[in-house]
Amino acid sequence: MKDNVISETDVTTNQTKIAARNVQVFYGDTHAIKDVSVDIQDKTVTAFIGPSGCGKSTFLRCINRMNDTIDICTVKGDILIDGEDIYDSAVDPVQLRAKVGMVFQKPNPFPKSIYDNVAYGPRIHGLARNKSELDDIVERALKRGAIWNEVKDRLHAPGTGLSGGQQQRLCIARAVATEPEVLLMDEPCSALDPIATAQVEELIDELRQDYSVVIVTHSMQQAARVSQKTAFFHLGNLVEFGETDKIFTSPEDPRTESYITGRIG
Amino acid sequence: MQDQHIVSAFDRDLESVQAQIMKMGGMVEDAIRLAAQSLETRDEELADQVRGGDKAIDALEELINERAARIIALRAPTAVDLRLILSVIKISASLERIGDYAKNMAKRNSVLAQLPAVADSAGAIRRMCKTVESMLKDALDSYVQRDAELAMDVIARDEDVDQMYNALFREFLTFMMEDPRNITSCMHLHFIAKNVERMGDLVTSIAEQVVYLVTGTHPDEDRPKADNTSTKLKG
Repeated sequence: MKDNVISETDVTTNQTKIAARNVQVFYGDTHAIKDVSVDIQDKTVTAFIGPSGCGKSTFLRCINRMNDTIDICTVKGDILIDGEDIYDSAVDPVQLRAKVGMVFQKPNPFPKSIYDNVAYGPRIHGLARNKSELDDIVERALKRGAIWNEVKDRLHAPGTGLSGGQQQRLCIARAVATEPEVLLMDEPCSALDPIATAQVEELIDELRQDYSVVIVTHSMQQAARVSQKTAFFHLGNLVEFGETDKIFTSPEDPRTESYITGRIG
Repeated sequence: MQDQHIVSAFDRDLESVQAQIMKMGGMVEDAIRLAAQSLETRDEELADQVRGGDKAIDALEELINERAARIIALRAPTAVDLRLILSVIKISASLERIGDYAKNMAKRNSVLAQLPAVADSAGAIRRMCKTVESMLKDALDSYVQRDAELAMDVIARDEDVDQMYNALFREFLTFMMEDPRNITSCMHLHFIAKNVERMGDLVTSIAEQVVYLVTGTHPDEDRPKADNTSTKLKG
């Protein structure tokens, strides 16, 4: 463990990585996100919490334009990463998604070998010039995914043969292989046991050194454990956004209070 | 109280631990009152009763801490629930300390009952105890009613206790200079007065916990303090 846990959570000086301004999302007639503006910092873990259907996953998916794949979905407002509008017509969503990695709720390794799962992204983005460079990238990503030691002797075994927790860490390794700047995680631990969850949480804390991590979670305790900033969504509104410590000890909005303390509200 | 929890057992846990605090508070109020009474009436039997009663207060503190630990372990309280549990732990510790001071007063009363009375100092101490007791009552009321304003009022009233202690300090000094035969009594009485003054501080800290519980922020530290005996050379 680090020596000084209190100062470790102090992220007030970190720069803004993602700036959302007046974001509105519609699924057909349904108004899913209502005028959300938020600054997400670099080298910080930001947790999105809120009841089911509050829009947190929808908002997360706006950050790497995953909502583009849904026909009836329209996004209004601006989302800037490093000051650049990611919804600009000049932006290639595929390039964007290399920069903004994503990990999903259920581990979804490709039906390929462990090695090919991780090498897939770097290959299509041409990040390696030869085999040995690619080997290096795969090894580095698997180490970052905290799974290298468990799979280094069977890199060519199928990824689907791993346990659930290992598969999820493989997916995280796959997501970091393209050296993204932002990592989006949509309930990455909901299908994992407590040990695997702890491993993923430890990993998230390490990833924070290099990335801006945004995590959607239904576990209050997980949000409290891994994040420095927390955003609470309710009925498509961003109700409260602030330091995780503050949100979990003395939130300002009564709706936040009701939700995190498990009250009917 | 706010809305209920979805898990109703959580509400029952929180209510029961708060009920224990109120029970403990009532016992401590009695201990202060009876200790002061036994001092004034030189009633050794009553003093013994107070000394014996402290065990029950200690046992209740232990029970409250166990319950609080259990709630933390099983329910992982957050926000207002977390502040409530923290306040329960701190308030029970303060009450336990006040109970100890009352017990100590009762112990000294047994000695003082054998010595000649020193003017009306026992009456003055009883009045001081009465002030502390009413502060404690209001602090506990403010806790139940989640009334930060009343708690702030209690915090302000500690100044009165400090002033009463200052006056007694000077009085005892005068008595001791007048007649050295008063020294034994006055030393005991002074310890009692100092302990009552400390009770006032502990009641203040209970009131501060109420403010934190209700508002989520601690009250300002620079509250008025009138106890200046530690910096004064002469009475």
